Order: sequence, then C-alpha cells, then structure tokens
Amino acid sequence: MATTDTLIPATDITDNQTVPVTLDGKNILICKANGDFYAVDNMCTHQRAELTGGRIRNCFLACPLHGVRFDLRTGKPMGELTRVPLKTYDVSLADNGNLQIELD
Amino acid sequence: MSELIKVKQQGEARCEGLSYQDLLNDETIEVPAYLREDSNPYMGDEDIDVARWIGRDFHEQEKKKLWPKVWQMTCREEDIPEVGDHHVYEIVDQSIIVTRTGENEFKAFINSCLHRGRILRDNDGHAEEFVCPFHGATWDIHGNFKGIPCKWDFSHLDEKDMSLPQVKTGTWGGFIFINFDEDCVPLDDYLSPLPEHFARFPLHDYYKGAHVERVVQCNWKVGAEAFMESFHTLETHSEILTFTGDANSQYDTFGDHVSRSVTPMGVPSPHMPEVTEAETMRDILELSGRMATDSAEGHEMPEGLTARTYVAETNREMFSEIIGEPLDQATKSELEDAILYMLFPNTQVWTGYHGNIVYRFLPNGDDHTSCIFETMILMRYPKGTKKPDPAEKNTLRPDQAFSEAPEIGGLGPVFDQDDSNMAAVQKGMIASRKGKVSLASYQESRIRHLHQTIDKYLNA
Repeated sequence: MATTDTLIPATDITDNQTVPVTLDGKNILICKANGDFYAVDNMCTHQRAELTGGRIRNCFLACPLHGVRFDLRTGKPMGELTRVPLKTYDVSLADNGNLQIELD
Repeated sequence: MSELIKVKQQGEARCEGLSYQDLLNDETIEVPAYLREDSNPYMGDEDIDVARWIGRDFHEQEKKKLWPKVWQMTCREEDIPEVGDHHVYEIVDQSIIVTRTGENEFKAFINSCLHRGRILRDNDGHAEEFVCPFHGATWDIHGNFKGIPCKWDFSHLDEKDMSLPQVKTGTWGGFIFINFDEDCVPLDDYLSPLPEHFARFPLHDYYKGAHVERVVQCNWKVGAEAFMESFHTLETHSEILTFTGDANSQYDTFGDHVSRSVTPMGVPSPHMPEVTEAETMRDILELSGRMATDSAEGHEMPEGLTARTYVAETNREMFSEIIGEPLDQATKSELEDAILYMLFPNTQVWTGYHGNIVYRFLPNGDDHTSCIFETMILMRYPKGTKKPDPAEKNTLRPDQAFSEAPEIGGLGPVFDQDDSNMAAVQKGMIASRKGKVSLASYQESRIRHLHQTIDKYLNA
C-alpha cells in the first residue's frame, strides 16, 4: 500500500539542486528542475553510484561518476552506458509547504 | 560575337521585373553595405554526376579529404555554460569532446581513451575529470593524464605522452567550431565575410530558443541543397507565393566558404502578378512563421501603403517591444526578407530581426544515404534581463513530422513540404538513367558553388 511521506520544506531546495533523503531505508534524491520537483532512487542504474550532486540541466540529471543522463520526468537514461530507467516517485506539495512523496 | 564576350554573358539572365536591389532603392533607412553586395561570378553550366550524392566512393573521399580539413560548427557556447561542461560532437566516424575549460576557453579532445580506446564520454554532460568507464584511466578537463588504477602495471607508460590529443577550436557568433587539420587557415579567414555581414546581428548575445533534429533519408548535401535556392517555392511551397519573391531572389557567393540567398518577402511572386497588397499582407502574417505575429486578425491594409512596408513596420514595432529597445536602423529587408547564408560545408544561418534560424546537415554517422537535419532558432530577449537557458535538443523519431515540434511553429509545416522531396531526390538519383543533374544557371548557382568548393578540398 502506498504511504505518503512528508519531506523537507519546498523552499529548502533551489533550482538545479539535489537533496538526498532516507525513507523506509531507501535512499531517495529530491531534485528541482525548471521550478518543478522530482524524486528518484539515489542510485545510478549503470554502477549504483549515488546521484547526489549530479548536474541538473533542464530536466536531466547527470550521474557524477560517468555522466549518464536521466530524464527526471520519466527516469529514462540517455546514451549507451545503461538502458535501465531510474525509478521515479510522484512529488506533491503538502498544505504546510513541505514536499511529500508516495512510496509504493 | 567572340568567344570571350559569349562566356561573359552566360549566366547573366535574371527574372524580369523588380530585383532585390530595386526593392532596396525603396528603403527609407540607410541600407547597410552588406545588403548592397551583388556578387555572382559565373561558374559554368555543366551537368553534375549523381555519384556525388549517392556514391559510396564519394562519401569515402569526403571522409578522407573534406571533414578532416574544414572548420565545422559543433554546438553553441551556451550549450556548455560551465567549466567542465562538454558536448560530444560526432562527424562520420570521428568523435570529439568539446569542453569548456575556462570562462572563455574551449578545448576539443579526441574522444578515445589512450588505454584501450573506449570512447571517454558517451554523451553530453558535466565532468570534473574524464574517467574512462572501462578501467578508470583518468584525465583532467585540460587533457592532462591523471593516472590509471594499478599503476604498478603501467610503468611502460611513464615515458609516453599521455595527454589527450586535441583538435583546433574557435568561436564565432556563440558557436564553437573545430578543425582536425593542424595546418588549417585561421577560423576568421575561413568565415570571411560572415562576421562583417552579421555585424548588426550579434548572434553570441542571443539564446537558443529551439533545437529540433531528425534523421532524413538522403545524403547530407541533398538536405543542405533543399535550402539553398528559392526556385522550388513555386512547386513545393505554392501557398506562400502571394508574399514571396521566389524568382526574383538574389544569389551571392563570397569566396569559397560563404554564399547567400536573399528572397524578398511581402511582395508577390513574379509568377503571380494579380495578387493584391491586402492578400499579400494577410498571407504573410498567417503563413510565414517568421513575422512578429502569426495571425492577420485585426490587421487592415492602410490606404496607400504597400504590404511590404506595412508588415515591416508591424514587425519593427513588435520586435522592438520584445527586446525592449527601438529598431530605428533596421531596413524593411532585414525586418522581413529571407536572408540566408551558408557557411561551408554544412551550416546555414539567417540574418534579420526575427528569430535567427540555423540549419545544420550532418552525415548520419558513416551512412552516406541519410543525414541528421537540425534546426535551431536563436532568439533575442529583453535588454537587462537574464539570458534564458538554451532549449534542450528535441530529437524527433524518423517517422515524426516536423510539424510535431511546436517550438519551431510555422517552420514545421514548411519543413514537412521540403521533407517530401529530400528522401525522394535521393531515391530518384539512384533510379536516374541520365546519371546527372542539371542546375539553373543563376537560381541554383549556390549549389554549384558548394560542389566546386568540395572539389577544391578533394583535389587538394
């Protein structure tokens, strides 16, 4: 069953920034791109590297290790290093101004 | 008549009626010198062998003698805004990492690990250093070797130059160029007279508002040539004839690497003498895709004004509003005409005060029967505001229409019409019994110019 988890205040994250959080033992990366919020598994599908601090340009997050780029909207990777998409989570804004995501 | 005089007169025929230079005489603002240039030396009328477009041998010659020698546009500076950002540029079977190494400094490295040869970067992105994904050999972004795991096993490399090999780079208009040839002419010489002609259009200050690409099933030259003459307007884009001076376009060549077409807009085609000024005005606003508005609603032709003047003044007002400064010095021509330059071999750029369109035709890897057609639109933004980020490239699938890319607006349907010819030309050239194509002396002179310059490289 899906559970909703309240996270950091939306104002704590700026455009093109990444913030790692741990939920239910899962390492999840909150990202902001073009004013929108995204959440993905904080683990590159190429070599399991953490994506924290990866460069965000438009809606794409680049892995710091070898540069695989993922579309934050779909998790889909570009290029040849991996064909496995990143898991993405729905992010919404709670009444108190915090971000919240739904875990499966 | 002596042979000499006969030769001199060949290629001098022009469409009857108003020429582009005649239209310039009606300008109320001082006409800049670059528009007054009218330069089209006669280059001959011989048929051209289709092998140049369909032959594998010709492609192999281009691979050996053309692409390794020419300056070629790789990307925009704004595509790699921060130090460590890079673009992977691929041309035929070569791969280059174009990297920003300083505020105004770029380097271009051969994209191949000096250990086992794997490409170092698979795609565009950002790197603090280049780490090969295979075994981890590492270089800093300036190309200096930083090491490889298990260094004890590589003492034989100590004596070797392990710096990443580089190719030449240069910039103009916000574009980054590379050249594989150590002994090439300087970029400034190669570009001339482009920078002078674009003096009123500082492309480096504009931002890339749209970038769309798609594979097209034709040789890269067939693609490029679809945009080098306005002669095809009559049959391919007949809906725009009410406002397009197709047959009275001017064609110029400047040295080996630059050519230009100027197609007057806001005037009817010489093929359509009956069109009224009101029809011209209505259709150009509705269909051109390059005017300040894409609707004729609420526009009435004032008595005594030509459509050309009315549309230019509408554009002047609306373009000025967008950028927050007056365009008092802009001629009508620069406000509405199609003034399209080609930089040899495969880049085309428009001047003018609308968004500046850029085309590029890249061979699709090592396949000589398909190419990658790209369009960018360089846009102005209000003075004193932050430059917007460049658009992400939108790669259309081969089965998608250009009109499915909303960011290029009215250009999409026009490209779809061009697209209906490009693959069909490739196919028809293969089927041809004649085995040669014939070119119009004047209207298709830029195509001849392209091929004559290619020959200069292949025969060098």
